[in-house]
Amino acid sequence: MSYTLRGRVESRLASAVPALVVALALQRWWAVELAALMIGLGLVLDAAVYHRALAYQAGWLAAPLGALELGLVYGGMRLLEIMAPLGWAVVLYAVGWLGAQLFGHAVFPRLRIEYAEEGGELGTFGTIVAAVVCVTLVGGLGAARAVRPPTIHLHGTVQGPLVIRHAQTLVGGVVRGGILIRASHVTLRDVTVIGGENGIDVAHASHVMLEDVRVVRSSMDAIHVRDAGVMIDGCSIADPGGPWVQGVDVSYSIGRPMSMVSDCTIAGVREGIVTHSAAVDVRGNHVLGATLRGIVLGEMSMDTATHNEVVGANGVGILCLDHSTCTIEHNTIAGTRAAPGGDLSRAGVAIEAHYFAQARIAHNTIVASPGGIRAFDQSTISR
Amino acid sequence: MSRGGERCAIVGSGLAALAGYTVLRHRGVRPEEIVVFGTHGDPTEVWRTRAASIRQRRMRSESDGHLAAAAFPGLAVREALHRGTPAPLFASVANRYHPSVDAFLAHADTLRARTGWDRSFRLQRIDRITPVAGGFELGGGTFAHVLVATGHPGLARPPELAPPALAHAVHAYEPHDYASRVAIVGAGMAAATEWLNALAAGSEVVSIRRREPLRRPLNIPRPFFSKRGLAAFHATLPERRAATLRELSAPSYPAGAGWDDPIDAAMADGRFRVVRAGSDAAQTSQACEQVICATGFEHGWIRDPLLADLVERAGLATHGDWIVLAPDSTIPDLTDETRTLSIAGVAGRWAFPAADTIAGAKYAAHGFVRRACRTR
Repeated sequence: MSYTLRGRVESRLASAVPALVVALALQRWWAVELAALMIGLGLVLDAAVYHRALAYQAGWLAAPLGALELGLVYGGMRLLEIMAPLGWAVVLYAVGWLGAQLFGHAVFPRLRIEYAEEGGELGTFGTIVAAVVCVTLVGGLGAARAVRPPTIHLHGTVQGPLVIRHAQTLVGGVVRGGILIRASHVTLRDVTVIGGENGIDVAHASHVMLEDVRVVRSSMDAIHVRDAGVMIDGCSIADPGGPWVQGVDVSYSIGRPMSMVSDCTIAGVREGIVTHSAAVDVRGNHVLGATLRGIVLGEMSMDTATHNEVVGANGVGILCLDHSTCTIEHNTIAGTRAAPGGDLSRAGVAIEAHYFAQARIAHNTIVASPGGIRAFDQSTISR
Repeated sequence: MSRGGERCAIVGSGLAALAGYTVLRHRGVRPEEIVVFGTHGDPTEVWRTRAASIRQRRMRSESDGHLAAAAFPGLAVREALHRGTPAPLFASVANRYHPSVDAFLAHADTLRARTGWDRSFRLQRIDRITPVAGGFELGGGTFAHVLVATGHPGLARPPELAPPALAHAVHAYEPHDYASRVAIVGAGMAAATEWLNALAAGSEVVSIRRREPLRRPLNIPRPFFSKRGLAAFHATLPERRAATLRELSAPSYPAGAGWDDPIDAAMADGRFRVVRAGSDAAQTSQACEQVICATGFEHGWIRDPLLADLVERAGLATHGDWIVLAPDSTIPDLTDETRTLSIAGVAGRWAFPAADTIAGAKYAAHGFVRRACRTR
């Protein structure tokens, strides 16, 4: 069809109704933001590219242009940090694309018999629908922004402990004495925590994000999570404040959304990453010189440990413990030392299942760990 | 108003008329409010004969080249549902779907029955349309809105090739078979089609032409089918607009091996040769057993007695072969808030360059129905 510019805009806005309805039905702000991104990007392309480049748009062009827009929407989503689950984002985009095809080829020509010769313009009805879509999007975005947790930038050093009881985003700065998070939808980004009993203590909360945080000199756990769902990414934990300090401990959170610990560097603590009765995806972390075990997936947890690097742990590199179900793949365990005392379960074991635990392992690299891969106390290891 | 409460008249009973009729019906105008004046009760009859004459099996139009008011569902969708395969849809998306003539005609027959065409049809040739206050007198009645869809004025045939001057001459759009030695006059789409038809029938072909054929896509540039291209077309000065129409009317046929390969093969076998129009051509024509005039149609309002009479008596503005029309295919001097006179089909090219297509017929009908329904 040979669209006029107005026809392109009206057709795009009116055919976005199904995607917008789905976005609103999901009752998530990211869905509204994503729908706005899809439509906004499409309008920019319409005005700046398509109208000039395509005097006539053949039907088959819908496929490559759809793929192009999908790529741009994904890039925009990352750039604007729209926290949409990828699967749902693709579904929403697919609804939008299919809606545009259905409306453009069937609904509009049916409702308005002059649709093609009018270059996609929809007349008064189309103008009204387009306006409603715009108002809905602007209203939705405004509401999303209005209820978005405030962002607080810390400058310099703040004396803690800092207690967070409301949704917010905390960026930058140094906090002495620890941070206690007692609310959902809290994000810490680029925050350094010095000291405190637990460096960062999260309890009874969901959707908590710890991005690129640094924790040093805590006296118990660097990051301590209880009954909470957290996403910990890119953390740095070092210089523990005593011999009993653990790196990341996520426990008793099985009723919360799944947690993730990824791309963290943890050095010199007693145990690097510990879970108890939780569902945690542990991936891409570096655990160096743990004075006890490197990674422990324990106590009826349902965890995965993938692409981690555990170097120089004492006794066990990665342990699946106590009725837990673990997937342990693509990890590198090197230099696991045998603990004194001659206990075989701590004899420099790279990967171990202990006490009714079930571990599924694959593609792990084990270097200089004399205990190899072992199962104890009615545990099983499958490959 | 006319005696039976009819408000709308359609002059002509071919495909353009049926397209206009379906649009009127789609917008809620009842059969009792419409009179179709024509010489053929079957709106496909003339076109069907011409298509059969040149052995046309596939439409040159695409999926939405049908006579129903709404483009969806198009003929590709219908065929996909009928055959239970998505292949027509994929072909349509790639602009490679051309419905069969049989499917097109069957759909037209369905529309004729479904819309009530026969209830509105009146077997009567209209020779004169007389503008009166608030409408037009024709066919013994007065109508507020008249759509003229009389089609091509006739088959173009050079006088020296017309019977009885040349008794063995036939027009490409008249029923005919192929003799063993055939002269085909012309260099456009019909001529190219006839070259292939005659070669396929085993004939030896002599192509008589004044110029080398222009090879270009069959349809005019697609922006001319929508407001995007039409807005600029309507904004041009009359001279420029006429030049554009002349350029678009030049005889041509598409490039492609489907056309070239059979001709190349026949040339190699000595079964196809080209003769320039002139004295040799006359001699060649006499020497052939059959002459086929693939010379298209008469063109220009002056060749259509009804339009010529209207132009002369109403003093309508013209430019060359074309009656000057408003962008919505109405005649400005005879259209106002109370009455409408629109031209559909080939005579409406001043408003829509592809007026001789189904899309063109619908374009004129849309403009017509907007006015007709506004004054109900």
